[in-house]
Amino acid sequence: MRISILRRALALAVVAAAFSAAALLAQAPSSKPALNLNDTDAAIKAAADAAKREAAIKDYTPARTPWGDPDLRGVYLTATYTPLQRPAELADKPLYTEEEAVAAFKRAVEADAEVDPRTVHYDWKEYSMDAWQGGARPSLRTSLIVDPADGRLPAVTPEAQQRREMAAAAAKKRNPAAGILTFGNTYTRCVLGLGAAPLMRGGNPGSESAAAAAGVTAEVQVFQSPGYVTLVHQSNTDVRIIPLDSRPHLPQQIRHWYGDSRGRWEGNTLVVETTNWRDRSPGVGFQGSTDGLHLVERFTRIAPNTMRYEYTMTDPKTWTRPWSVDSEMPKVEPDVIYEFACHEQNYGVINVVRGTQIREREAAAGGGSARAPRGGGE
Amino acid sequence: MNIRSQGILLVAVLIVVGALWVGLPGQGSAPEVARTEDGRPNLNGIWQALTSANWNIEPHSAEAGPRPEIMGAYGAQPGGQGIVEGGTIPYKPEALAKRDANFKNRMTPKITNDPSRFDYGDPELQCFRPGVPRANYMPFPFQIFQDQNQMLIVYEYKWAMRQVHIDPQMEAPVDSWMGWSNGKWDGDTLVVDVTGFNGYSWFDRAGNYATSALHVVERWTPQGPNHMLYEATIEDPNVYTRPWKVSFPVYRRIEPNVQLIEFNCVPFVEQLMYDPLGLYFPPGTRPDGE
Repeated sequence: MRISILRRALALAVVAAAFSAAALLAQAPSSKPALNLNDTDAAIKAAADAAKREAAIKDYTPARTPWGDPDLRGVYLTATYTPLQRPAELADKPLYTEEEAVAAFKRAVEADAEVDPRTVHYDWKEYSMDAWQGGARPSLRTSLIVDPADGRLPAVTPEAQQRREMAAAAAKKRNPAAGILTFGNTYTRCVLGLGAAPLMRGGNPGSESAAAAAGVTAEVQVFQSPGYVTLVHQSNTDVRIIPLDSRPHLPQQIRHWYGDSRGRWEGNTLVVETTNWRDRSPGVGFQGSTDGLHLVERFTRIAPNTMRYEYTMTDPKTWTRPWSVDSEMPKVEPDVIYEFACHEQNYGVINVVRGTQIREREAAAGGGSARAPRGGGE
Repeated sequence: MNIRSQGILLVAVLIVVGALWVGLPGQGSAPEVARTEDGRPNLNGIWQALTSANWNIEPHSAEAGPRPEIMGAYGAQPGGQGIVEGGTIPYKPEALAKRDANFKNRMTPKITNDPSRFDYGDPELQCFRPGVPRANYMPFPFQIFQDQNQMLIVYEYKWAMRQVHIDPQMEAPVDSWMGWSNGKWDGDTLVVDVTGFNGYSWFDRAGNYATSALHVVERWTPQGPNHMLYEATIEDPNVYTRPWKVSFPVYRRIEPNVQLIEFNCVPFVEQLMYDPLGLYFPPGTRPDGE
């Protein structure tokens, strides 16, 4: 596997940024049901059993909060081995059979747990951060995207195509002078966590492995109080505040990294519309969209330990049509979110940028390629 | 219900209404505090302190700020009577010297690859989490979300967040910037015990500080529908000769549709922190002229 220095650097930064949370998660209180932290076979069986058990529950009605809202409270896992886009070899197969789903899950878990000691910089498993250790389950779907029907992102607009070409040209033109902003990625810089919105991304853009696709620090707490639902993410301890009182959106002049969310109940489903984005196209999970993004999310607790999570992304500056995801988030224990002070100790970004500068100087001097000889860390 | 009992009910209603009437602000006794389903004071809402304590929690005069040659009155600090009971923090002598050194170095962060980066510069300058109690009197609003067994406090500054664990409570599992908060009700007062600090926080831009032995006990007491008394007892045997106290009111923000407006300051401090290391090039200033 050959990956670019930038991507490798990004992976290292992600590792560094996530380190504090990793250390914390490793210390999770032990009074809750034991997780399968070492035994992949046991974890796969438990995940398959949980998926089967939850799927058997039909017409589930959630309890109510003391003030009468459907009760969605708890911590949910947004990591999944299901890719955002359907792989080419499954082009005509939107759904697995149950056996196929478990087999695909088993392959992904074993690939995730397997670490090549020659390339690894960091083994998430050591910190109990592999998705299979945290409660990820098999899914019948072969892609998170359900619309378009081919399970793939729709074509981009000519404007978006031009944007990408300009960005690629600018990257080539850049002289050796890598800086913090060269990375652009909001997570590397600790501007945003990995899952701010939407919650299920089904893989780092460009990730080449199931491990990277699954996601880390992928817990989100759904906190409810009268008139609000608030989402508290483990990654970067991001918080999204969702008022439910039908107030209008903020004026267009005000832009948020997390967007401006408004929620409402449709039966037992929480529907959240988010606008007023900053242009955060580099953000992980945003798939290159712009400040024109309109995100609609739907949260439905369909079983005691399962949240159905659907979303639709519309951005006329980026895609020729909207696209939609249908996914499930397992409710997980322990239901605690720890402080993830990413920016405060972003030591990694210093080394990443310095390392990149050194590689670029070497490349400029004709001494070699600016590419890393081997990948790793993802 | 007969005429007699209706009459008694009417009298009772009149007494309650009358009690509420004389209870209006300015009438001497406390007006009604909103309550949740379980009868606790309802603290849900957006709140803000109106003090200059973020510049200095001790009494202080107005002063020119840093870089007055370019910042002028923009950068100046307002005077204030402080929030420390008795006016002075009971520092041990060597700790007082450290406070003064902090003030001197407040604008000179040194970003390194090890925890010594936290020895220099006001954490606020670098967009670090403000800790407790500082988060409560920074010049930004904060929002309380109240469920029966847990509360969230989200601060507009940096979107810093605390969970107040009411049931179950837990020992601090690990040190952190915002500490670990366990809450309980004492009548109408929410008492929050905060421990598990990492020791890097400051209390203000004047360099007042504590160590990781910091223990804060907060008391949030509603004084009416739109303001609370905030009190905090502060202990840290490493730096103070005795526990001491801060107190100030926090006010409800009552504008229609008021909400927190994101203050994600990380992009605002990248040049400050990384330019001295040769790692930051603002757009258009790269050596190749882009």
